[in-house]
Parts: sequence; C-alpha cells; structure tokens
Amino acid sequence: MTTWKLVIAFIRRRPLSWALHVVTLAIGLAVVLALVQVERAAQARLTRDLASVDLVVGAKGSPLQLVLSAVLQADAPTGNIPLAEAEKIARSPLVKLAVPVSMGDSYRGARIVGTTPDYLQIYGGKLASGRPWARPMEAVVGSEVARRLDLRIGKTFIGSHGLIDSGQQHDHAPYKVVGVLAPTGSVADRLILVDLASVWAVHGESEPPADDHAHHHHDAEQAAAPADRQVTALLIQYRSPMGAVTLPARVRAIPDLQAAAPPVEMARLFSLLGPGLELLRALGAVLLVLAAAGFLVGLIGAVGQRRRDIALLRALGMSARQVFLLLTTEALLLGLAGGVLGVAGARLLVFLGAGLTAPSLGGAGLAQPPMGVADLLTVAAALGLALMAAVAPAWIASRSDPAQDLSGAQA
Amino acid sequence: MLRVENLVVGRGAGPVARIERLTAAQGEAVLIVGPSGAGKTTALLALAGLAPIHGGQALLGGIDLTALDRRGRDRLRGSAMGFVFQDLHLVAGLSALDNVLLAPFAAGLEPDAPRAQALLDSMGLADLAHRPAERLSRGQAQRVAIARAMLLRPRLILADEPTASLDDQACETTLALLLQAARDTGAALVIATHDGRLRQRGLTVFETEPMS
Repeated sequence: MTTWKLVIAFIRRRPLSWALHVVTLAIGLAVVLALVQVERAAQARLTRDLASVDLVVGAKGSPLQLVLSAVLQADAPTGNIPLAEAEKIARSPLVKLAVPVSMGDSYRGARIVGTTPDYLQIYGGKLASGRPWARPMEAVVGSEVARRLDLRIGKTFIGSHGLIDSGQQHDHAPYKVVGVLAPTGSVADRLILVDLASVWAVHGESEPPADDHAHHHHDAEQAAAPADRQVTALLIQYRSPMGAVTLPARVRAIPDLQAAAPPVEMARLFSLLGPGLELLRALGAVLLVLAAAGFLVGLIGAVGQRRRDIALLRALGMSARQVFLLLTTEALLLGLAGGVLGVAGARLLVFLGAGLTAPSLGGAGLAQPPMGVADLLTVAAALGLALMAAVAPAWIASRSDPAQDLSGAQA
Repeated sequence: MLRVENLVVGRGAGPVARIERLTAAQGEAVLIVGPSGAGKTTALLALAGLAPIHGGQALLGGIDLTALDRRGRDRLRGSAMGFVFQDLHLVAGLSALDNVLLAPFAAGLEPDAPRAQALLDSMGLADLAHRPAERLSRGQAQRVAIARAMLLRPRLILADEPTASLDDQACETTLALLLQAARDTGAALVIATHDGRLRQRGLTVFETEPMS
C-alpha cells in the first residue's frame, strides 16, 4: 500500500471528471506554450533569414510583400525591375554587396531562385558536396530541399512555372544538381539556387505570353534581349550606415522602383499580427484560469465524496497533515499529467501549424524547438496551478471531523 | 488494560454522554449498550481520540487518553487501536489486501504484507485478496475490516454496531470473528451495540447515560 496506489484509486473513481479537468489544463498550457514557441521560432528564423540584408530594391507595390518575397521567399513578388537599373544601384559606392534575385519558378514546392554566387555570402552558405553552378541549367540545392525532395548530385529535375506545383512545366529545360549546401538554418536551406542566366534560358523559348499566373512577373523579361533583361529584386548590404540615409531615397526617385528595409517591414508585420497574438494569449490565459477553477471544483467535489474515506484514514491513525498532503499529492499528480499533456499538445500545435504554413514558407514550416526551459516551466506552471487549486480543498479535508463522518446520524 | 471512570464524552463543545465505569482486560470483550442516541458511538470515538472528552479518566495500558494532544492521539490510534465500523468502510478501488494494509499506511508504520495475507487466509479470503473492495459481499468485506483491525496487533479493538442489520447466522459469525481477533491479538474488545442478541452472550455490559 502506497500513497500513489491510494491516490490512483481515488482518481479512478471519477475518471471522466478528472480527464476533463486534465485535458482543459493541457489545452490551456498547450496554447500558451505553442504561442511562445512559435514566436521564438519565428523570431529566430527571421533573424537568420533577414541576416544582414539592409535594403531590398524591387518593383513598386507593398514594401512588406517585397521583403517577404525577395528575402523570406514567403510571398509572391511585387514585379520585376530592369537589370540595368539594378546594376546601376549595385555600383553605388554606398553598397558593399548587391545580390540580384529572380524568382518565378519552383520544383515541388521549392522555389528556384536565379542569383549570383554572392547570395551564399549573405547566409554563410557552404557546399556540403559538389560544386557551385558554373553554367546555365546547373543547380545548387539547399539542405532542406535536398533532403525533402531527395535531390542528389547528378539528378535532373524540371521546374514548373509559378511558385506552386500546378504551373506549366518547363520540359524543354531540365536542371541538373551539381551541388548541395550544408545546412545554414536560413532560407537558403529551402531554395534551389541557379544562375540568373538559367532563369533567362528557361524562359528564352516559347512561354505563355499572357500572365496567367498571378504570382510571377518574369515572363516578358527573360526572353528579351540583354538590354531589356529584368530581375525580381536586388538584396543590398550597405558599406556604411550612411547608406541607410541616402540610398533608399535615391531608389525611390527611380520610376517604378521601391526600396524596403527588412527590419522596418518586419516590425510592421508584427504590429499587424500583434492583436491576433494577444487574443490567442488571452484565450490561453482564460483556459488556464478555467482549468484551475475546474481543479478547484473537482477537488472540492472529491473531498465531499470521500468524507468517509478520509474519516477512515484518520481513524486508522493518519494525521490531518498527512490528509492534506494526500489531497495535494493527488492534485499534483493530475497537474503533472496536465503539464506533460500540455507540452505534448504544444508540440502537436506547432507541428500542425508548421504543416499549414509550410507552403507559404517555401516548403518548410517553423522548426520544432528542442525540449528546453519553456517545457519545464510549463510543467512547473501546471503543478503550480494544481497546487493552488488544491490548497483549499485539502485544508477542508484535513479539518473535517472524522467522528461526524464515521458515525453519520448516530450519537 | 482499558479502564474508564466517569468519562464524559461529547460532540463539539457540548457533552452528550457519560460512562460511569468500564474495564476490559487483555483479550476480554465487553459491550457498551444503550438506546439509540445514548452516545455509544460517541463513546467509542472518544476512546479513539476522535471525539472530545469533557471529563473523567480513560487509561489504556497505563496511557492516559485524556492527557494526549492531537498528534499523540493520532499516533496511539494508529499503532494501538483497531476499528471495525458498522458500515465497514473499505476504500473502493483498493483490493482486499490493500484495504488491510491501509492500517500501517495510515499509521505511518511498515507494512506487513505476509501477515495481512495470512489474516485474510485465516478468514477464508485467500482467493479474494486481490479482489477490489467494491466487488466483495458484505460478509467478505466485514472479514476484511476485522483483518485490518487485527493487523497491527492492537491493544484495543473498537467495534461500532458490528452486527446491526445482520441475520442471526451472520451475527454469530461476526461475533465469533471479533472474539477470536481479541484472543489472537490479546486486545481488549469494546463493542458498542444495541443488538439484544449480543447481550445474551454473557459478555460484561456497560451502559452510556445520555446527558442532553
């Protein structure tokens, strides 16, 4: 006979009631923890993905969309800009590094980005195997893409028009994998990188003339003569902070071009998401309060139901203090179950959320964070809530009059 | 072993009954009798330290029960007293064996599972040791309760209306088990009852006097 055996016997008498309380607690904790984890993962990912891109130059439109599409590869591009203009900006003495990117095609959900080898410099990308692209139609694939699509060196694949799979396939121009990147933890892991010339080559032959894919803007450019060539955007690193002062204004002066600073746009994005996140947090808090109230009500009910058991234990020599501990142990055991379920539930929510957001994030959703302090704090919070809820009922139980409960109406 | 004189027992603040005198030697069984409401159960609970004693004296093996503090009463009750209740009071969800082992658990003493099993065996419950309490018959449950009262070799066994609502045969069996328990453990057995059948057994009888 042990405390656990007795506590479990008590719990098993009201399995549905306790299951409800535990699940309510677990859901509240899971929502709160999942929010924390998603925010952290999103921030970590943004930090890596935005890296040291100081400015994005692209076609006029939403600056947020420009940053999302050109840096985070998470939205449709705003349009294209003339390559000649991009090169002119790149030559500015204020610019340390300027990397053109040209998007519009994809392969099984992974975006194909035409760029220069400098792109890897932004994200510290290094080849895990193979070599960089040396000529058109050679591709270097990010680590995540290589793993997910089993793209090994020597394999060939055909890109589809558009950023989703349903687009027309460029059957005439297969790519060949020549290199695989080592993981960088950044957006580069989720991309297929090719030479700018590859993108132009793919679209150099017969393409649908009309823009029947709302998500691309490169149809007209690539088949054109070199002088009319276009790119989707230009990623810029400043040579000095002075760049931030003058370059954006200079870009805005050019017709049909805009400049967007990633940190500014991200701050705007979070301010847009803020109320939604607050609402979810409030929902989680309400669920936690309900769970604590459920525990309190459940325990008071349990004490009422068990008056004779408690009186028996007192008659057999158990002290009031031990009765108090017995009730709190029961609450803690249930709290622990709620905490562990909450942690598991949070992981499930993050997993489901990752699956839902993966298509718009370039084929890979937010990563599941490793088990850490947040998980332990969640279990501790569950235990704390259970303990708080247990104090009053346990005190009532320990103060009950066993003589009254044992003898009933007799005197 | 148990000696009581002018013991006034109560519920809450007020006295409800008095026992002028009660003695029970080692292994001896005595009855506390009185009409319904005369304070028989309260007297048992007071001896166990669960109801207040307002006056008089109660000695168990030289220990003055009226002088013990709450903690002392808990300890003595757990280590030196066994209880058999009218309504049996087994804990549902625990097996017969675990219900017997509740006694040392509640008293904070080492469990003696072999003795618990042996007691169940001696009461014909060998095969039912692991059966949940709620699946035992009333007779079986009563035997489990008696085994629990015996487990720690108490000096005093207190039985509250153990034969109420039992037929004659069951009454006979229960009384025989209790007397056997007292003999086996050397405990004084005090039975609070208004069952006339027990008064015919030649046991020493003491009466409670209601005070309100």
